[in-house]
Amino acid sequence: MNAPTDRDLILRARRGDSEAYGELVTRYQTGVFNVCYRILHNRGDAEDLAQETFIRAYDRLHTFDLEREFSPWIRRVAANLCLNHLDSHKPSAMLDEERDEDKTQSPGEQVEVKERSEQIRAALASLPSHYRIVVELRHYQDLSYDEIAAELQLPLSDVKSHLFRARKLLAEKLHAPD
Amino acid sequence: MHQTDQELNEYLDNESADRAALESHLSACDECAARLSTLQNLFAELDSLPELALTKSLAAPFIPRPSLVPQLPRWLTLTAFLQAAAALVALTVAIPFVSTMLPQIETPSFTNLFIQLQTQWSALLDMLSTFHFPELEPLSLPIMEMSTLLIALAVVSIFWIFGNGLLLRNQNRN
Repeated sequence: MNAPTDRDLILRARRGDSEAYGELVTRYQTGVFNVCYRILHNRGDAEDLAQETFIRAYDRLHTFDLEREFSPWIRRVAANLCLNHLDSHKPSAMLDEERDEDKTQSPGEQVEVKERSEQIRAALASLPSHYRIVVELRHYQDLSYDEIAAELQLPLSDVKSHLFRARKLLAEKLHAPD
Repeated sequence: MHQTDQELNEYLDNESADRAALESHLSACDECAARLSTLQNLFAELDSLPELALTKSLAAPFIPRPSLVPQLPRWLTLTAFLQAAAALVALTVAIPFVSTMLPQIETPSFTNLFIQLQTQWSALLDMLSTFHFPELEPLSLPIMEMSTLLIALAVVSIFWIFGNGLLLRNQNRN
């Protein structure tokens, strides 16, 4: 038997079938958590915000346009929640050092990937929040400049300048000589 | 004249208004090509960031906890009903019978019971202290009275009910 489509699950969830929504959560929870983690760089906060994202989305499910994809929508809800969280909270002093693993690589390569990934995450975490969010929307959610401007309610010129400055800062941090 | 950082960023973001002109410049300008290459490396690094795994499922709050009864096989549910019916019949038969016996049973007070147990315990200890292996004599078990037997049965029943309750609670949690 074929797995139900996202559309089927959403329709069932709208009729009050929370189990169907649970299935949707299972499908997209890792992606949503990673959106939160890239922006917050703290596992506890990222898990809490990812959970909050799904709870908020459940309440707003009737506003979701069934002609569109669920994944970009839920990821955008997560990004907005994280942005609000950053605006209302001081940056956490407890930033995580996560370990990225890829079983297909040799142990030496794995260590290298882990270290580089951690450097990238730390560089992202060090950006001002308004830079971090445009990087997230452009690089990880593939939004165009116009879409980012609409999403964040910013002028197009601000989106461009935030993105270029964010990349400049990232390049300085990541490509700086040791 | 070289390309600006903004123009290079827009080019890599596919937001450039005139890609053909920029590409023509890049093919002739090593400096701009090198700057573009550095920027491309940054893009590649950001895009290759691996996803992290969750340590817990976020779906749990949306999935209703299954109740215990639907998990039980049908035959077991039927057995439970049969057991309940049998117990009811047994009680109906037993109550008049037990009520005729009850006046005959002398319920010992707690003090008497305690003294009785202590006496039996002391007797057992005495017996053990004088125990000699080569001269083993047959042990005379203390004779259990009807009241003691009833109390023991009641205690065992309580333990049985309590134990089953714990088991069911654990199953319900799972």
